[in-house]
Amino acid sequence: MVGLSIGEKHFIEGGIAQNLRTDGRKRLVYRPIQIETGVIPQANGSARVRMGGTEVIASVKAELGRPSSLQPDKGKVFINVDCSPTAAPIFEGRGGEELSSELSGALQICLLGGKSGAGAGIDLSSLSIVGGKICWDLYIDGLVVSADGNLLDALGAAIKAALSNTAIPKVNVAAGASSDEQPEVDISDEEFLQFDTSAVPVIITLTKVGREYIVDATPEEESHMDSAISISVNRQRNLCGLTKRGSAGLDPSVILDMVSVGKHVSEELMNKLDSEIAAAEAREEE
Amino acid sequence: MEFVSPEGLRLDGRRPMEMRQLRAEIGIVSKADGSASFEMGNTKVIAAVYGPREVQNRSQQLNDQALVRCEYTMANFSTGDRRRKPKGDRRSTEISLVIRQTMEACIMTHLMPRSQIDIFVQVLQADGGTRSACINAATLALADAGIPMSDIVTSCSAGYLNSTPLLDLNYVEDSAGGPDVTVGILPRSTKVTLLQMDSKLPMDIFENVMQLATEGCKAVANYVHEVLLEKTKQLDKHRGV
Repeated sequence: MVGLSIGEKHFIEGGIAQNLRTDGRKRLVYRPIQIETGVIPQANGSARVRMGGTEVIASVKAELGRPSSLQPDKGKVFINVDCSPTAAPIFEGRGGEELSSELSGALQICLLGGKSGAGAGIDLSSLSIVGGKICWDLYIDGLVVSADGNLLDALGAAIKAALSNTAIPKVNVAAGASSDEQPEVDISDEEFLQFDTSAVPVIITLTKVGREYIVDATPEEESHMDSAISISVNRQRNLCGLTKRGSAGLDPSVILDMVSVGKHVSEELMNKLDSEIAAAEAREEE
Repeated sequence: MEFVSPEGLRLDGRRPMEMRQLRAEIGIVSKADGSASFEMGNTKVIAAVYGPREVQNRSQQLNDQALVRCEYTMANFSTGDRRRKPKGDRRSTEISLVIRQTMEACIMTHLMPRSQIDIFVQVLQADGGTRSACINAATLALADAGIPMSDIVTSCSAGYLNSTPLLDLNYVEDSAGGPDVTVGILPRSTKVTLLQMDSKLPMDIFENVMQLATEGCKAVANYVHEVLLEKTKQLDKHRGV
Protein backbone atom coordinates (compact mmCIF):
# COMPACT_ATOMS: atom_id res chain seq x y z
CA MET A 1 0.00 0.00 0.00
CA VAL A 2 2.74 2.43 0.94
CA GLY A 3 5.22 2.99 -1.84
CA LEU A 4 8.71 3.61 -0.49
CA SER A 5 11.99 3.98 -2.32
CA ILE A 6 15.07 2.00 -1.32
CA GLY A 7 16.59 5.13 0.17
CA GLU A 8 13.55 5.77 2.34
CA LYS A 9 13.54 2.16 3.51
CA HIS A 10 17.20 2.42 4.54
CA PHE A 11 16.45 5.66 6.32
CA ILE A 12 13.62 4.14 8.36
CA GLU A 13 15.56 0.98 9.15
CA GLY A 14 18.68 2.89 10.10
CA GLY A 15 16.68 5.18 12.34
CA ILE A 16 15.09 2.27 14.15
CA ALA A 17 18.52 0.66 14.65
CA GLN A 18 19.67 3.90 16.31
CA ASN A 19 16.53 4.22 18.45
CA LEU A 20 15.29 7.34 16.66
CA ARG A 21 12.29 6.94 14.39
CA THR A 22 11.24 9.21 11.56
CA ASP A 23 8.69 11.03 13.72
CA GLY A 24 11.20 11.56 16.53
CA ARG A 25 9.95 8.79 18.79
CA LYS A 26 12.07 6.16 20.45
CA ARG A 27 11.44 2.49 19.68
CA LEU A 28 9.12 1.77 22.60
CA VAL A 29 7.17 5.00 22.73
CA TYR A 30 3.53 5.35 21.67
CA ARG A 31 2.09 8.30 19.80
CA PRO A 32 -0.16 10.53 21.93
CA ILE A 33 -3.45 8.79 22.67
CA GLN A 34 -6.73 10.70 22.80
CA ILE A 35 -9.87 9.06 24.16
CA GLU A 36 -13.43 10.30 24.01
CA THR A 37 -16.25 8.28 25.57
CA GLY A 38 -19.99 8.24 24.95
CA VAL A 39 -19.68 9.20 21.28
CA ILE A 40 -22.60 6.98 20.20
CA PRO A 41 -25.57 7.79 22.43
CA GLN A 42 -27.63 4.93 21.01
CA ALA A 43 -25.17 2.33 22.29
CA ASN A 44 -24.78 1.09 25.86
CA GLY A 45 -21.19 2.20 25.77
CA SER A 46 -18.88 3.70 23.20
CA ALA A 47 -15.51 5.33 22.78
CA ARG A 48 -13.38 6.93 20.13
CA VAL A 49 -9.62 6.53 20.24
CA ARG A 50 -7.10 8.54 18.27
CA MET A 51 -3.46 7.47 18.03
CA GLY A 52 -1.65 9.80 15.68
CA GLY A 53 -3.64 9.67 12.46
CA THR A 54 -5.38 6.42 13.39
CA GLU A 55 -8.96 6.83 14.53
CA VAL A 56 -11.24 4.02 15.64
CA ILE A 57 -14.66 3.89 17.26
CA ALA A 58 -15.87 1.04 19.43
CA SER A 59 -19.42 0.55 20.58
CA VAL A 60 -20.96 -1.94 22.98
CA LYS A 61 -24.58 -2.94 22.64
CA ALA A 62 -26.29 -5.32 25.03
CA GLU A 63 -29.27 -7.42 24.03
CA LEU A 64 -31.15 -10.10 25.87
CA GLY A 65 -30.50 -13.57 24.53
CA ARG A 66 -30.41 -17.23 25.42
CA PRO A 67 -27.19 -18.70 26.77
CA SER A 68 -25.69 -21.58 24.84
CA SER A 69 -26.50 -25.02 26.16
CA LEU A 70 -22.82 -25.73 26.77
CA GLN A 71 -22.42 -22.79 29.14
CA PRO A 72 -25.83 -22.18 30.65
CA ASP A 73 -24.64 -19.77 33.32
CA LYS A 74 -22.61 -17.47 31.11
CA GLY A 75 -23.41 -14.64 28.75
CA LYS A 76 -22.07 -14.26 25.24
CA VAL A 77 -19.77 -11.67 23.73
CA PHE A 78 -19.34 -11.05 20.02
CA ILE A 79 -16.59 -8.92 18.57
CA ASN A 80 -16.79 -7.60 15.06
CA VAL A 81 -14.61 -5.07 13.27
CA ASP A 82 -15.38 -3.16 10.10
CA CYS A 83 -12.98 -1.11 8.06
CA SER A 84 -14.73 1.93 6.68
CA PRO A 85 -13.78 2.92 3.13
CA THR A 86 -13.22 6.42 4.49
CA ALA A 87 -9.98 5.07 5.97
CA ALA A 88 -8.54 3.97 2.63
CA PRO A 89 -10.02 3.51 -0.84
CA ILE A 90 -8.92 -0.14 -0.91
CA PHE A 91 -11.55 -0.91 1.74
CA GLU A 92 -14.25 -0.10 -0.77
CA GLY A 93 -16.84 -2.79 -1.43
CA ARG A 94 -15.55 -6.07 -0.08
CA GLY A 95 -11.96 -4.86 -0.05
CA GLY A 96 -11.81 -4.39 3.70
CA GLU A 97 -13.11 -7.82 4.61
CA GLU A 98 -9.77 -9.57 4.79
CA LEU A 99 -8.30 -7.02 7.18
CA SER A 100 -11.58 -6.83 9.12
CA SER A 101 -11.66 -10.54 9.80
CA GLU A 102 -7.96 -10.59 10.67
CA LEU A 103 -8.52 -7.82 13.21
CA SER A 104 -11.70 -9.33 14.68
CA GLY A 105 -9.97 -12.71 14.97
CA ALA A 106 -7.00 -11.21 16.77
CA LEU A 107 -9.26 -9.21 19.11
CA GLN A 108 -11.30 -12.29 19.93
CA ILE A 109 -8.15 -14.19 20.83
CA CYS A 110 -6.79 -11.32 22.86
CA LEU A 111 -9.95 -10.37 24.76
CA LEU A 112 -12.22 -13.39 24.94
CA GLY A 113 -9.84 -16.20 25.78
CA GLY A 114 -10.53 -19.75 24.71
CA LYS A 115 -13.74 -21.42 23.53
CA SER A 116 -14.73 -22.27 27.08
CA GLY A 117 -14.59 -18.61 28.00
CA ALA A 118 -11.78 -19.24 30.46
CA GLY A 119 -9.31 -16.41 30.67
CA ALA A 120 -11.67 -13.90 29.14
CA GLY A 121 -11.04 -10.26 29.95
CA ILE A 122 -14.77 -9.84 30.52
CA ASP A 123 -16.38 -11.86 33.29
CA LEU A 124 -18.93 -13.81 31.29
CA SER A 125 -20.80 -15.10 34.33
CA SER A 126 -21.67 -11.49 35.26
CA LEU A 127 -23.73 -11.37 32.06
CA SER A 128 -25.97 -14.22 33.15
CA ILE A 129 -29.46 -13.27 34.34
CA VAL A 130 -31.32 -16.55 34.76
CA GLY A 131 -29.11 -19.60 34.44
CA GLY A 132 -29.84 -21.48 31.22
CA LYS A 133 -32.66 -19.13 30.25
CA ILE A 134 -31.67 -15.51 29.80
CA CYS A 135 -28.38 -13.75 29.54
CA TRP A 136 -26.97 -10.58 28.08
CA ASP A 137 -25.42 -10.81 24.64
CA LEU A 138 -22.75 -8.17 24.26
CA TYR A 139 -22.10 -7.00 20.73
CA ILE A 140 -18.82 -5.16 20.48
CA ASP A 141 -18.41 -3.37 17.17
CA GLY A 142 -15.23 -1.71 16.09
CA LEU A 143 -15.05 0.71 13.20
CA VAL A 144 -11.83 1.91 11.62
CA VAL A 145 -12.49 5.49 10.52
CA SER A 146 -8.96 6.49 9.66
CA ALA A 147 -6.02 4.11 9.26
CA ASP A 148 -2.54 5.32 10.12
CA GLY A 149 -0.92 2.16 11.44
CA ASN A 150 -1.28 0.06 14.58
CA LEU A 151 -5.00 -0.57 14.23
CA LEU A 152 -5.10 -3.52 16.61
CA ASP A 153 -3.73 -1.64 19.62
CA ALA A 154 -6.07 1.26 18.93
CA LEU A 155 -9.06 -1.07 18.67
CA GLY A 156 -8.06 -2.83 21.88
CA ALA A 157 -7.84 0.51 23.67
CA ALA A 158 -11.16 1.66 22.22
CA ILE A 159 -12.92 -1.52 23.34
CA LYS A 160 -11.45 -1.18 26.81
CA ALA A 161 -12.67 2.41 27.00
CA ALA A 162 -16.09 1.52 25.58
CA LEU A 163 -16.50 -1.29 28.11
CA SER A 164 -15.73 0.99 31.04
CA ASN A 165 -18.25 3.45 29.56
CA THR A 166 -20.88 0.71 29.29
CA ALA A 167 -23.97 0.84 31.46
CA ILE A 168 -26.18 -2.22 31.37
CA PRO A 169 -29.76 -1.81 32.54
CA LYS A 170 -30.71 -3.68 35.65
CA VAL A 171 -33.07 -6.55 35.01
CA ASN A 172 -35.78 -7.63 37.41
CA VAL A 173 -36.94 -11.20 36.94
CA ALA A 174 -40.57 -11.83 37.73
CA ALA A 175 -40.70 -14.26 40.61
CA GLY A 176 -42.85 -17.35 40.68
CA ALA A 177 -42.35 -18.55 37.12
CA SER A 178 -42.14 -22.30 36.81
CA SER A 179 -38.78 -23.72 35.87
CA ASP A 180 -39.63 -24.93 32.37
CA GLU A 181 -41.02 -21.75 30.86
CA GLN A 182 -39.22 -18.58 29.87
CA PRO A 183 -39.34 -16.20 32.83
CA GLU A 184 -40.68 -12.71 32.36
CA VAL A 185 -38.23 -9.91 32.78
CA ASP A 186 -38.53 -6.23 33.33
CA ILE A 187 -35.71 -4.04 32.05
CA SER A 188 -35.18 -1.05 34.25
CA ASP A 189 -34.58 2.24 32.49
CA GLU A 190 -33.34 4.01 35.57
CA GLU A 191 -30.92 1.67 37.25
CA PHE A 192 -27.78 0.68 35.46
CA LEU A 193 -24.92 -1.61 36.29
CA GLN A 194 -21.36 -0.74 35.50
CA PHE A 195 -18.89 -3.27 34.28
CA ASP A 196 -15.82 -4.33 36.10
CA THR A 197 -13.19 -3.60 33.48
CA SER A 198 -10.13 -3.98 35.63
CA ALA A 199 -9.49 -7.41 34.08
CA VAL A 200 -9.74 -6.21 30.48
CA PRO A 201 -6.27 -6.54 29.00
CA VAL A 202 -4.42 -4.05 26.82
CA ILE A 203 -3.04 -5.08 23.46
CA ILE A 204 0.52 -4.30 22.48
CA THR A 205 1.81 -4.98 19.01
CA LEU A 206 5.55 -5.30 18.65
CA THR A 207 6.73 -4.95 15.10
CA LYS A 208 10.09 -6.43 14.23
CA VAL A 209 12.08 -4.31 11.82
CA GLY A 210 15.58 -5.60 11.18
CA ARG A 211 16.84 -6.80 14.56
CA GLU A 212 14.86 -4.40 16.69
CA TYR A 213 11.24 -4.23 17.85
CA ILE A 214 9.08 -1.14 17.82
CA VAL A 215 5.64 -0.36 19.22
CA ASP A 216 2.88 1.69 17.55
CA ALA A 217 4.27 1.37 14.04
CA THR A 218 3.21 3.79 11.32
CA PRO A 219 2.12 2.40 7.92
CA GLU A 220 5.57 3.22 6.52
CA GLU A 221 7.19 1.14 9.23
CA GLU A 222 4.61 -1.62 8.95
CA SER A 223 5.17 -1.86 5.21
CA HIS A 224 8.58 -3.40 5.63
CA MET A 225 8.25 -5.28 8.86
CA ASP A 226 9.44 -8.86 9.01
CA SER A 227 6.75 -9.94 11.39
CA ALA A 228 4.71 -8.62 14.27
CA ILE A 229 3.52 -10.09 17.52
CA SER A 230 0.44 -8.82 19.32
CA ILE A 231 0.13 -9.72 22.96
CA SER A 232 -2.59 -8.85 25.40
CA VAL A 233 -1.60 -8.34 29.00
CA ASN A 234 -3.86 -7.68 31.96
CA ARG A 235 -3.21 -5.87 35.22
CA GLN A 236 -1.82 -8.94 36.92
CA ARG A 237 0.77 -9.06 34.13
CA ASN A 238 -0.68 -12.28 32.82
CA LEU A 239 -0.48 -12.97 29.15
CA CYS A 240 -4.07 -13.26 27.89
CA GLY A 241 -3.54 -13.85 24.22
CA LEU A 242 -0.92 -13.81 21.51
CA THR A 243 -1.04 -13.64 17.75
CA LYS A 244 1.72 -13.46 15.24
CA ARG A 245 1.30 -11.66 11.96
CA GLY A 246 3.58 -11.20 8.99
CA SER A 247 5.24 -13.77 6.79
CA ALA A 248 8.76 -14.12 8.13
CA GLY A 249 9.63 -16.86 10.61
CA LEU A 250 10.72 -16.01 14.12
CA ASP A 251 13.15 -17.77 16.37
CA PRO A 252 11.40 -19.00 19.54
CA SER A 253 13.88 -17.18 21.76
CA VAL A 254 13.12 -13.95 19.89
CA ILE A 255 9.42 -14.45 20.55
CA LEU A 256 10.05 -14.86 24.27
CA ASP A 257 12.17 -11.75 24.25
CA MET A 258 9.45 -9.82 22.41
CA VAL A 259 6.86 -10.98 24.93
CA SER A 260 8.94 -9.80 27.86
CA VAL A 261 9.53 -6.42 26.20
CA GLY A 262 5.81 -6.18 25.49
CA LYS A 263 4.97 -6.92 29.09
CA HIS A 264 7.27 -4.16 30.19
CA VAL A 265 5.62 -1.68 27.82
CA SER A 266 2.14 -2.84 28.80
CA GLU A 267 2.35 -1.43 32.31
CA GLU A 268 3.01 2.06 31.06
CA LEU A 269 0.27 1.79 28.42
CA MET A 270 -2.23 0.41 30.92
CA ASN A 271 -1.66 3.34 33.29
CA LYS A 272 -1.85 5.83 30.46
CA LEU A 273 -5.10 4.33 29.15
CA ASP A 274 -6.66 4.21 32.60
CA SER A 275 -5.93 7.87 33.26
CA GLU A 276 -7.12 8.87 29.78
CA ILE A 277 -10.34 6.89 30.21
CA ALA A 278 -10.95 8.43 33.62
CA ALA A 279 -10.35 11.90 32.18
CA ALA A 280 -12.70 11.19 29.26
CA GLU A 281 -15.44 9.98 31.60
CA ALA A 282 -15.04 13.07 33.73
CA ARG A 283 -15.31 15.30 30.67
CA GLU A 284 -18.45 13.50 29.54
CA GLU A 285 -20.14 14.02 32.90
CA GLU A 286 -19.59 17.74 32.82
CA MET B 1 -49.96 9.07 17.13
CA GLU B 2 -49.64 12.75 17.86
CA PHE B 3 -46.56 14.25 16.24
CA VAL B 4 -47.38 17.87 16.93
CA SER B 5 -48.74 18.73 20.36
CA PRO B 6 -51.59 21.26 20.74
CA GLU B 7 -48.95 23.78 21.85
CA GLY B 8 -47.30 23.32 18.48
CA LEU B 9 -44.28 21.38 19.67
CA ARG B 10 -42.87 18.23 18.11
CA LEU B 11 -41.79 15.03 19.85
CA ASP B 12 -38.25 16.28 20.38
CA GLY B 13 -39.44 19.73 21.47
CA ARG B 14 -38.86 21.53 18.20
CA ARG B 15 -41.26 23.88 16.43
CA PRO B 16 -42.56 22.58 13.07
CA MET B 17 -40.27 24.90 11.09
CA GLU B 18 -37.25 24.37 13.28
CA MET B 19 -34.19 22.45 12.20
CA ARG B 20 -32.09 20.25 14.43
CA GLN B 21 -28.75 21.49 15.67
CA LEU B 22 -26.12 21.44 12.94
CA ARG B 23 -22.49 20.70 13.61
CA ALA B 24 -19.71 20.20 11.11
CA GLU B 25 -16.01 19.65 11.30
CA ILE B 26 -13.55 19.65 8.43
CA GLY B 27 -10.44 17.51 8.08
CA ILE B 28 -11.14 14.64 10.44
CA VAL B 29 -9.56 11.81 8.40
CA SER B 30 -5.89 12.64 8.19
CA LYS B 31 -5.04 10.33 5.31
CA ALA B 32 -7.83 11.43 3.00
CA ASP B 33 -7.48 14.29 0.52
CA GLY B 34 -10.58 15.89 1.98
CA SER B 35 -12.89 14.90 4.81
CA ALA B 36 -15.65 16.24 7.01
CA SER B 37 -18.15 15.16 9.61
CA PHE B 38 -21.67 16.49 9.62
CA GLU B 39 -24.23 16.22 12.39
CA MET B 40 -27.92 17.01 12.21
CA GLY B 41 -29.17 16.40 15.72
CA ASN B 42 -28.45 12.77 16.47
CA THR B 43 -27.69 11.87 12.86
CA LYS B 44 -23.96 11.82 12.38
CA VAL B 45 -22.05 11.00 9.22
CA ILE B 46 -18.50 11.37 8.01
CA ALA B 47 -17.37 11.75 4.43
CA ALA B 48 -13.92 11.26 2.95
CA VAL B 49 -12.82 12.21 -0.53
CA TYR B 50 -9.88 10.65 -2.35
CA GLY B 51 -8.80 12.21 -5.60
CA PRO B 52 -8.65 13.43 -8.22
CA ARG B 53 -6.29 10.55 -8.91
CA GLU B 54 -5.48 8.01 -11.56
CA VAL B 55 -8.41 5.82 -12.60
CA GLN B 56 -8.06 2.45 -10.89
CA ASN B 57 -10.13 0.48 -13.34
CA ARG B 58 -8.99 1.46 -16.81
CA SER B 59 -12.19 0.32 -18.50
CA GLN B 60 -14.14 2.96 -16.56
CA GLN B 61 -11.88 5.80 -17.62
CA LEU B 62 -13.62 8.75 -19.26
CA ASN B 63 -11.60 10.78 -21.74
CA ASP B 64 -13.52 14.02 -21.45
CA GLN B 65 -14.38 14.17 -17.77
CA ALA B 66 -13.57 12.86 -14.32
CA LEU B 67 -15.11 9.67 -13.03
CA VAL B 68 -17.01 10.28 -9.79
CA ARG B 69 -17.67 7.32 -7.53
CA CYS B 70 -19.49 7.10 -4.26
CA GLU B 71 -19.99 4.50 -1.60
CA TYR B 72 -22.40 4.77 1.31
CA THR B 73 -21.92 2.52 4.32
CA MET B 74 -23.72 2.31 7.62
CA ALA B 75 -21.91 1.28 10.78
CA ASN B 76 -23.35 -1.74 12.59
CA PHE B 77 -24.05 0.38 15.62
CA SER B 78 -25.65 3.27 13.73
CA THR B 79 -29.26 2.16 14.17
CA GLY B 80 -31.27 1.66 17.35
CA ASP B 81 -31.27 -2.13 17.27
CA ARG B 82 -28.06 -3.69 16.15
CA ARG B 83 -28.21 -5.35 12.78
CA ARG B 84 -25.55 -7.06 10.76
CA LYS B 85 -26.15 -5.87 7.24
CA PRO B 86 -24.38 -7.20 4.20
CA LYS B 87 -22.36 -4.66 2.31
CA GLY B 88 -23.92 -3.29 -0.85
CA ASP B 89 -27.56 -3.97 -0.07
CA ARG B 90 -30.21 -2.25 -2.17
CA ARG B 91 -30.75 0.74 0.03
CA SER B 92 -27.04 1.56 0.24
CA THR B 93 -26.62 1.16 -3.50
CA GLU B 94 -29.55 3.47 -4.13
CA ILE B 95 -28.28 6.14 -1.73
CA SER B 96 -24.76 5.85 -3.19
CA LEU B 97 -26.23 6.54 -6.60
CA VAL B 98 -28.28 9.49 -5.36
CA ILE B 99 -25.27 11.07 -3.66
CA ARG B 100 -23.09 10.50 -6.71
CA GLN B 101 -25.55 12.09 -9.09
CA THR B 102 -26.16 15.02 -6.78
CA MET B 103 -22.45 15.71 -6.31
CA GLU B 104 -21.70 15.27 -10.00
CA ALA B 105 -24.04 18.17 -10.69
CA CYS B 106 -21.71 20.60 -8.97
CA ILE B 107 -18.24 19.12 -9.57
CA MET B 108 -16.59 20.61 -12.66
CA THR B 109 -15.71 17.19 -14.00
CA HIS B 110 -14.62 18.49 -17.40
CA LEU B 111 -11.55 20.07 -15.80
CA MET B 112 -10.17 16.70 -14.72
CA PRO B 113 -10.41 14.26 -17.61
CA ARG B 114 -9.02 10.74 -17.19
CA SER B 115 -9.09 10.94 -13.41
CA GLN B 116 -11.20 9.57 -10.63
CA ILE B 117 -12.77 11.10 -7.53
CA ASP B 118 -13.95 8.80 -4.76
CA ILE B 119 -16.49 9.93 -2.19
CA PHE B 120 -16.97 7.64 0.79
CA VAL B 121 -19.68 8.37 3.29
CA GLN B 122 -19.99 6.50 6.54
CA VAL B 123 -23.05 6.78 8.76
CA LEU B 124 -22.11 6.64 12.44
CA GLN B 125 -25.56 7.36 13.76
CA ALA B 126 -28.82 7.24 11.89
CA ASP B 127 -31.72 9.29 13.24
CA GLY B 128 -33.56 10.26 10.07
CA GLY B 129 -32.27 12.42 7.26
CA THR B 130 -29.10 10.41 6.60
CA ARG B 131 -29.42 11.17 2.88
CA SER B 132 -29.32 14.92 3.50
CA ALA B 133 -26.56 14.68 6.09
CA CYS B 134 -24.45 12.58 3.70
CA ILE B 135 -24.80 15.11 0.90
CA ASN B 136 -23.90 17.99 3.23
CA ALA B 137 -20.87 16.08 4.53
CA ALA B 138 -19.80 15.19 0.98
CA THR B 139 -20.00 18.86 -0.05
CA LEU B 140 -17.71 19.87 2.79
CA ALA B 141 -15.29 17.01 2.09
CA LEU B 142 -15.11 17.89 -1.62
CA ALA B 143 -14.45 21.53 -0.73
CA ASP B 144 -11.77 20.43 1.73
CA ALA B 145 -10.14 18.32 -1.00
CA GLY B 146 -9.97 21.43 -3.17
CA ILE B 147 -12.00 19.91 -5.97
CA PRO B 148 -13.34 22.55 -8.39
CA MET B 149 -17.08 22.96 -7.93
CA SER B 150 -19.46 25.38 -9.54
CA ASP B 151 -21.36 25.71 -6.27
CA ILE B 152 -21.90 23.75 -3.08
CA VAL B 153 -24.87 21.41 -2.79
CA THR B 154 -26.88 21.38 0.40
CA SER B 155 -29.77 19.18 1.28
CA CYS B 156 -32.57 19.02 3.79
CA SER B 157 -35.81 17.09 4.15
CA ALA B 158 -39.33 18.05 5.13
CA GLY B 159 -42.47 16.09 5.83
CA TYR B 160 -46.15 16.50 6.47
CA LEU B 161 -47.72 15.02 9.59
CA ASN B 162 -50.88 15.96 11.55
CA SER B 163 -51.69 18.47 8.78
CA THR B 164 -48.52 20.39 9.55
CA PRO B 165 -45.46 20.71 7.34
CA LEU B 166 -42.41 19.69 9.40
CA LEU B 167 -38.81 20.55 8.65
CA ASP B 168 -35.92 18.05 9.04
CA LEU B 169 -37.67 14.84 10.15
CA ASN B 170 -36.06 12.64 12.78
CA TYR B 171 -36.29 8.85 12.79
CA VAL B 172 -39.61 8.61 14.64
CA GLU B 173 -41.28 11.14 12.36
CA ASP B 174 -39.67 9.58 9.30
CA SER B 175 -40.99 6.12 10.09
CA ALA B 176 -44.51 7.41 10.75
CA GLY B 177 -45.37 6.69 7.15
CA GLY B 178 -46.09 10.25 6.12
CA PRO B 179 -44.55 11.90 3.08
CA ASP B 180 -40.84 12.66 3.22
CA VAL B 181 -39.53 15.19 0.72
CA THR B 182 -35.77 15.36 0.39
CA VAL B 183 -34.49 18.35 -1.55
CA GLY B 184 -30.98 19.26 -2.61
CA ILE B 185 -30.24 22.68 -4.04
CA LEU B 186 -27.39 24.70 -5.47
CA PRO B 187 -27.84 27.70 -3.15
CA ARG B 188 -26.40 30.38 -5.45
CA SER B 189 -28.77 29.73 -8.31
CA THR B 190 -31.37 28.01 -6.07
CA LYS B 191 -31.57 25.26 -8.67
CA VAL B 192 -32.86 21.91 -7.44
CA THR B 193 -30.45 19.02 -8.03
CA LEU B 194 -32.14 16.40 -5.88
CA LEU B 195 -35.79 15.83 -5.26
CA GLN B 196 -37.25 12.68 -3.80
CA MET B 197 -40.55 11.97 -2.17
CA ASP B 198 -42.29 8.90 -0.88
CA SER B 199 -45.91 8.37 0.19
CA LYS B 200 -48.56 10.74 -1.17
CA LEU B 201 -49.40 14.40 -0.80
CA PRO B 202 -51.94 16.79 -2.39
CA MET B 203 -50.40 18.99 -5.05
CA ASP B 204 -50.89 22.37 -3.33
CA ILE B 205 -49.52 21.08 -0.02
CA PHE B 206 -46.53 19.59 -1.79
CA GLU B 207 -45.61 23.07 -2.92
CA ASN B 208 -45.56 24.28 0.70
CA VAL B 209 -43.57 21.30 1.93
CA MET B 210 -41.03 21.64 -0.82
CA GLN B 211 -40.74 25.35 -0.14
CA LEU B 212 -40.05 24.52 3.50
CA ALA B 213 -37.38 21.97 2.57
CA THR B 214 -35.76 24.51 0.24
CA GLU B 215 -35.68 27.06 3.05
CA GLY B 216 -33.99 24.37 5.15
CA CYS B 217 -31.40 23.83 2.42
CA LYS B 218 -30.66 27.56 2.41
CA ALA B 219 -30.17 27.55 6.17
CA VAL B 220 -27.79 24.58 5.81
CA ALA B 221 -25.99 26.45 3.02
CA ASN B 222 -25.44 29.44 5.30
CA TYR B 223 -23.97 27.18 7.94
CA VAL B 224 -21.78 25.33 5.45
CA HIS B 225 -20.48 28.66 4.15
CA GLU B 226 -19.66 29.74 7.68
CA VAL B 227 -17.76 26.52 8.38
CA LEU B 228 -15.81 26.77 5.14
CA LEU B 229 -14.98 30.40 5.76
CA GLU B 230 -13.78 29.62 9.26
CA LYS B 231 -11.58 26.81 7.93
CA THR B 232 -10.15 29.01 5.21
CA LYS B 233 -9.37 31.73 7.74
CA GLN B 234 -7.52 29.15 9.83
CA LEU B 235 -5.53 27.99 6.81
CA ASP B 236 -4.69 31.59 6.05
CA LYS B 237 -3.49 32.08 9.61
CA HIS B 238 -1.30 28.96 9.44
CA ARG B 239 0.21 30.28 6.26
CA GLY B 240 1.29 33.30 8.22
CA VAL B 241 0.28 35.92 5.69
